[in-house]
Amino acid sequence: MGPQLATAQPDPGFSRLDEITVENAGRLVPAWSFRTGTPGAHATAPLIAGDTLFVLTPFPHTLFALDLTRPGAAVKWRYMPPPDRTADGLTCCDAATGGLAASGDRLYLNTLDGHTISLDAAGGQVVWDARPAHPQTGETLAAAPLVAGNRIIIGSAGDDAGPRGWLAALDAATGRQDWKVFDTGPDAEVGIGEGFRPLYDPPQARDRGVSTWPPAAWQQGGGGLSGAPVADPALGLVFYQTGHPAPWNPDQRPGENRWTSGIFARDAASGAARWFDPINPHDLYAMGASGGLLPTPDGRLVHPDANGFLYVLDPATGKMLSATRFLPVNAARGIDLASAVPIREDRYVTVQDRTVRDICPAWPAGSNAQAAYSPATGLLYIPAATLCMDMAARSASYIAGTPFGGADVRVKPAPGGEEGALIAWDIAAGRAAWTVPERFPLRGGALATAGSVVFYGTLDGLLKAVDARTGRGLWQFQATAGIVGRPATFRAPDGHQYVAVLAGAGGLTGTASAKEIDVRDATAARGFANALRTLPPPQDRSGTLFVFRLP
Amino acid sequence: MRARHLLLAACAFLVACQREQRDLRTDPPVAEALGQVAVMPGGIGGRPAAIDRALGHPYQTNAYQLNQGKRLWDWFNCSGCHAAGGGASGPALTDGSWRYGPDMVSIFVSIRDGRPNGMPAFRGKLTDEQILQLSGYVQAMGAETASTAAPSRNDTMQARASENRAPAAAAFPKQVSR
Amino acid sequence: MAATSRLASCLPALLCAGCGGWQSALQPGGEQAGHLKVLIQLFTIVCGIVWLLVMLVLAAGLWRRHSGTPTGAAAERRSARLVGAATAASVLVIIGLTLASYVATHGLAAAGADPLVIRVRGSQWWWEVTYMDPSPDRTFLTANEIHVPVGRPIRVELAASDVIHSFWAPNLAGKQDLIPGRDNALSFTVDQPGLYREQCAEFCGLQHAHMAMLIVAEPAASFDAWRDGQIAEPPAPNDAEQAAGRLVFTGKACAACHTVRGTPAAGTLGPDLTHVGSRRTIAAGMLPTTRGSLAAWIADPQTIKPGNNMPMVPLTADELNALAAYLASLK
Repeated sequence: MGPQLATAQPDPGFSRLDEITVENAGRLVPAWSFRTGTPGAHATAPLIAGDTLFVLTPFPHTLFALDLTRPGAAVKWRYMPPPDRTADGLTCCDAATGGLAASGDRLYLNTLDGHTISLDAAGGQVVWDARPAHPQTGETLAAAPLVAGNRIIIGSAGDDAGPRGWLAALDAATGRQDWKVFDTGPDAEVGIGEGFRPLYDPPQARDRGVSTWPPAAWQQGGGGLSGAPVADPALGLVFYQTGHPAPWNPDQRPGENRWTSGIFARDAASGAARWFDPINPHDLYAMGASGGLLPTPDGRLVHPDANGFLYVLDPATGKMLSATRFLPVNAARGIDLASAVPIREDRYVTVQDRTVRDICPAWPAGSNAQAAYSPATGLLYIPAATLCMDMAARSASYIAGTPFGGADVRVKPAPGGEEGALIAWDIAAGRAAWTVPERFPLRGGALATAGSVVFYGTLDGLLKAVDARTGRGLWQFQATAGIVGRPATFRAPDGHQYVAVLAGAGGLTGTASAKEIDVRDATAARGFANALRTLPPPQDRSGTLFVFRLP
Repeated sequence: MRARHLLLAACAFLVACQREQRDLRTDPPVAEALGQVAVMPGGIGGRPAAIDRALGHPYQTNAYQLNQGKRLWDWFNCSGCHAAGGGASGPALTDGSWRYGPDMVSIFVSIRDGRPNGMPAFRGKLTDEQILQLSGYVQAMGAETASTAAPSRNDTMQARASENRAPAAAAFPKQVSR
Repeated sequence: MAATSRLASCLPALLCAGCGGWQSALQPGGEQAGHLKVLIQLFTIVCGIVWLLVMLVLAAGLWRRHSGTPTGAAAERRSARLVGAATAASVLVIIGLTLASYVATHGLAAAGADPLVIRVRGSQWWWEVTYMDPSPDRTFLTANEIHVPVGRPIRVELAASDVIHSFWAPNLAGKQDLIPGRDNALSFTVDQPGLYREQCAEFCGLQHAHMAMLIVAEPAASFDAWRDGQIAEPPAPNDAEQAAGRLVFTGKACAACHTVRGTPAAGTLGPDLTHVGSRRTIAAGMLPTTRGSLAAWIADPQTIKPGNNMPMVPLTADELNALAAYLASLK
C-alpha cells in the first residue's frame, strides 16, 4: 500500500487555502525551485497529492515526484516513458502536451504520443500501459485524463491532421478499453441512441455525423477532444468540448459538420450521448469549442469560448441559458439562443482563395486559457487573448500523416494594441467586474484562492497575484521563462500554504515543444508568431518549477 | 553599307530574346537517374546524382524548377508544419540553421525518407524529380546569399519578404527564437 | 474557268460549317442562348443594313464628285440637314442596339426559381466541379464534365484557383470570367437534351486550348439517376486485375493528389476520380475515356499535355495495365 493520496479531481482553478491573503501576498518569497532540464511548453500544472508534488515535462515526457517532506523537495522518483518521436511533428501552437491525474494511490498519465499509463504514486512503477492513440494517423493525447469512478476517460487530439476525434473510457484497474465513441460518423459509432435528447438538432434526424458533411469527408473530419473533459458525478455525465473540423478551409466541407466544435454530454458509464450543443457549427476559423468548461456551485456549466462569447448552460439538458460577448468580436453579431449558433457577419466569412482581414477574435483566443471560478467572489477569472487575424483559406489535400489545414493565418492584436487581459467576469450580471490588460496573450490558467487572491502567469515570464475583488496588483515575480501553465497552491507538510508555478514556454509562442520559429514569417506558428514578434526570448530554455511561501 | 551595319546591330538585341529553358518533360531514364544520390551513412550529406551535375544543377539554378518547388510546398502540405518557412510544428527553414545540413542531398533525403521528430517520408507520394524541385525551393528559402534564380511572388498572403527580393535570411535583421 | 470562280465564290460558305454543332452560339440549347442568338441576328442584320447604306452613300458621293458638285447656300443647308439626319439615325440605331443588348443579357446572371447550383473552379488546365445541395451529404465533386437536367434553371458559380479563366458554352450562355478571389456566376436553362461543349475562353497558359468541358443535358429522371450514381461510392473491384490496380492507386503517388471515395485516397490537387470511368473524356476534354487512353495518359502525361501538373510516375507495365483497368471500372 502506498500513501493515501488526496481525493480525485479537486477543482484545479480554486483553492480553499487562505493563509495567503490580499494583505500579505505582497510579501511572498521564493521557497525553492526545481529545474526540469527540458525545453518546451510546461502546460501541465504541478499536481500535489499528499506529501508529493508531481511535475510533468512536455514531450518527450519526464514525470518527477518531488518529496515535500524533505528540504528543497528532493526527487523521490522519476519516470520517463519511451517516446515515439513521430508525435513531435503533430503539435504546433497549443500548449497541449498530455497530462496527469491522480486518484487513490494511482497516477494516470496521458503522453503526447498516445499512451495512457497508470503508475503507482508511491514508487513510480508502471501498473499498466495502454496505447489508445496512434501518432502515425495524426492522433495525440493532449489533455489530462479524467478519473470518473473506476474509469479513466481520455480523448484524442490532433484535428490539424484530420483524424476522427473520439472519447474513450479505460478500466482504471487494468487499462482495458471500456467504451469508445467517435465525434463524427454514423450514430452507432458516435454513441447516439435512445437517450440522446439534442435541443438544437432535429430530434428524428439520423446519422447527422454523416449527413452534415460532404460524402466521406467526416472520415478525415477531425473533431477531437479540445481541453479537458469534466465530470458531473451527480448526473453521471461527462462533458467535453469537441475540436474543430478538418481541414481549416471551410469551403471543402459544406454543412454543419456535426459533431465537431460543440459541447457533448455523455453517460459516464456507457459513453452514450445525452445532449449536444453546437457552438461553432461549420467552424470557419478552426476554433473548435475551446476555452474550458466549468461547473459552478449553482448548478450551471460555464463555457468561455474562443469565439468571444461566454455561454451558460444547463448541465442536465444542455439548454443554452445565455451567451454574452466577453472579447472583442466582429465575426458574429451575437448568439441566437433559439438555435444556439452564432449570427455571423458576412464580410468575415472565410472563402477559399481570398484573404479575409481583421477577423476578431483570432483562433488562439481560447485554446489554453483555463479560467477559474471562485465561489468566494462569484467571479470567473478568464485569462484571455484579445487577438484578431487575417486568414486566407486555400484548397488542402488530404495526405495521411501530413497536416490537413488549408489556411494561411496572420494573428495580430485587437484594436487597442493589448494582446491579452485577465477578465474577472460577473456571470450573473453578464459583464466584466474588472479587467487587467496584458501586453501579451495569456496562455496559462488562472488560480483563485479563498484568500481572495488570483494568480496567473504571462508569456514574458511574470507570475502575478492580483486582488480577486478589484484586480489590483499585489505582487509579481519574474521567472526564467514564459508561463503557459496554471499555478497551483497547496498546504505543505509544514502546515503552510505554498504557491507553485511551472515556467517554460517552448520557443516563443507557448508551443508544445521546443520549436524553432522564425518570427520574420508572419504565418509562422499558425500566425501566432506575428503577434509575438516583440516577446523577449526566455532567459532559460529549460522549464523551472518555482515555489513561493510567506516569509 | 550603313544600313547593313544598323541591321546587324539590331540583330544583337535578339540575344535578349532567349527565354529560360522550361523542361516540362524529363525523359524517364533521366528521371530515374536523378534519384540516384549517394548519401553518407547517418543520412546527412552526400553526392548528388551525376546526371544533376551534367545538367548543370537545374533544380537550384532554373527559376521554373524553383517555382514548381514553391507550388509543391503548398500543395503537399509543407506549409502546414513549416508555415511559409518560419515554422510551426516543424522547425523554421528560413533562419539559416539546418538540423541536417543545407546541401541539396540532405534536404532531398529529409523529404524523401523523412526524419525522426515528426517529418514524414514523401517517398511514393512525390516523384524523385518533384522532391528535387522542392529541395531546390527549400534551399533557396533559407539561403544566406543572393542567387540569380528565384521563384515568383506569392499570389495571396505576403507572409514574409518574397524570395525574388533578396535571400530570405538577409531580408530582415535577424530575430529568431529557438 | 467559270467553274473555278464559281467554286471560289462558294469557299466562304465553308466557313459557315464551323457554326454548327455542339459548340455554336447559332444553335441555342436553351432560353438564354436563344435570346443571345436573336441578339446576334439583330446585330448582324442591322449592322449589315447600315453597312450597305453607308456603302451606297459613299458610292453616290463618289459618283457626284465626277458629275460636279453643286455649290451655294441652298446646297450647304441641304448637306447639313443630310448629315444631321444621318447622325440622328446613327444615335437611334446605337440606342436601339444598346437596349436590345441590355434586355437580352441582363437576365443572364439571374437564375430562375429553385436553381441547380454548380460550383466550377478553374485551374490550369482543368475544371473542378462541385454539385451543391441543401443537404451537404448530397454535394459531390467531379471534374471536366457536368450533367444538367433539361428545363431546370442552372446557376454556375465561378471561381479560379490560379489565373483568370473564362467559362464559355456557346450553345447555352455567354462568356463569364473565373477570377481568383472573386465570385462570378452564370445562369441558364437548357431546353434541348444533348451534348454541348464548353471551352476556356480566356488565355490561361500553355494548355489553354486543351481546357474544355462537356455538358450533358438530359431529362430530369436520367439526371437524377446520374446524380445518385455520382453520390454513391464506386463499386468494389470485381476482378483480380482491378483489385491490383486499386492497390497501385492507393499505394503510389496517385493517392496524394486524387480522390476515389471509399478508398484512403483523398487528395484534392487533381480531379476527383471517384467516377472517372463514367466520364466521356479525360484530361479536360482531350481524350475519350478508354482503358487505353487512361494508360497512355498515366504513362506520359507531359507528352500529351505538356506543362500540366501531373507527374510521370514510374510504373511497371503490369502496374500500369492494372491501374488503367481499375480507373476504367470506376463508373
